Amino acid sequence: MVSDFLTSLILVLRNCVLLIFSPYRTMRKISEEKDYGQVFIIFLTIFLYFKFAYFLRDKPYPATLTFLVFILHISLTAAFFYFLSKVSINKNKFSSFIFTMSYSLLPTLIWFASNSLLYVFIPPPRSFSIPGKGFSIFFISYSISLLAWKIILMYLALRFSTKLGFYRIIYMLLLFLVWFIPYSVLLFYLKIFRVPFI
Amino acid sequence: MNIMKTLNYRLKQKLDEVYTVEPNNLGFPLLTNSYHNVTKFFKTMPFIFVIPLSFIIAGILYFVFGTLVVKLATLLQYGF
Repeated sequence: MVSDFLTSLILVLRNCVLLIFSPYRTMRKISEEKDYGQVFIIFLTIFLYFKFAYFLRDKPYPATLTFLVFILHISLTAAFFYFLSKVSINKNKFSSFIFTMSYSLLPTLIWFASNSLLYVFIPPPRSFSIPGKGFSIFFISYSISLLAWKIILMYLALRFSTKLGFYRIIYMLLLFLVWFIPYSVLLFYLKIFRVPFI
Repeated sequence: MNIMKTLNYRLKQKLDEVYTVEPNNLGFPLLTNSYHNVTKFFKTMPFIFVIPLSFIIAGILYFVFGTLVVKLATLLQYGF
């Protein structure tokens, strides 16, 4: 049991590093994974992040509730892409979606965790002084980098899970945004997530 | 003999893995070639291109929108 957990942990760390250096090859391997311990470790890390963020937020919801909302929308997302891709290709495996979607949460987790730490060490609001502007430019470029990485991983996750071509993946992403944008706005107004955790 | 069998098996596994998806075809050779030329930079070491590019984009945003970028950074910092 412990050795299985440690093996999964090492694999998660290895895959996370490899997703930085060779995302294409690594995501292709991840889409063939069968070790659910890795998914458990990723979700556990996310749950621990929500627990940590709970102490920093103003009037927060319980971390368990935030985590359940996250589980709901990640499951909806995986199911949405799975059933949509089933229309074209019938032999897709749902497990492949679970693994690739879980690993594509890595940039999100890094951004949210680093943002929480920055909130502690360099709390907002940013000033209009030169250091304030410099930090703002740095922070925006850091966010753009992680967003670009997120888009790459999300595209690769869909490419290897659905096995569809570029155009169909873009159509699927557009259809996904049709329901996901209003859903994110709802979460924003309910103050559960200001930036959607996806 | 066993080594050959193992090598054959590993080669077959690798080929199966590589050909899990068909190469992308965008309909027009020019588009397909451009797609392959652009995406090859993102398949390995994407941060070599992504980091400088994001600094350039952030710089452009600052020059175009000025202090709005500072407000955006503040907004994002509350976004966790």
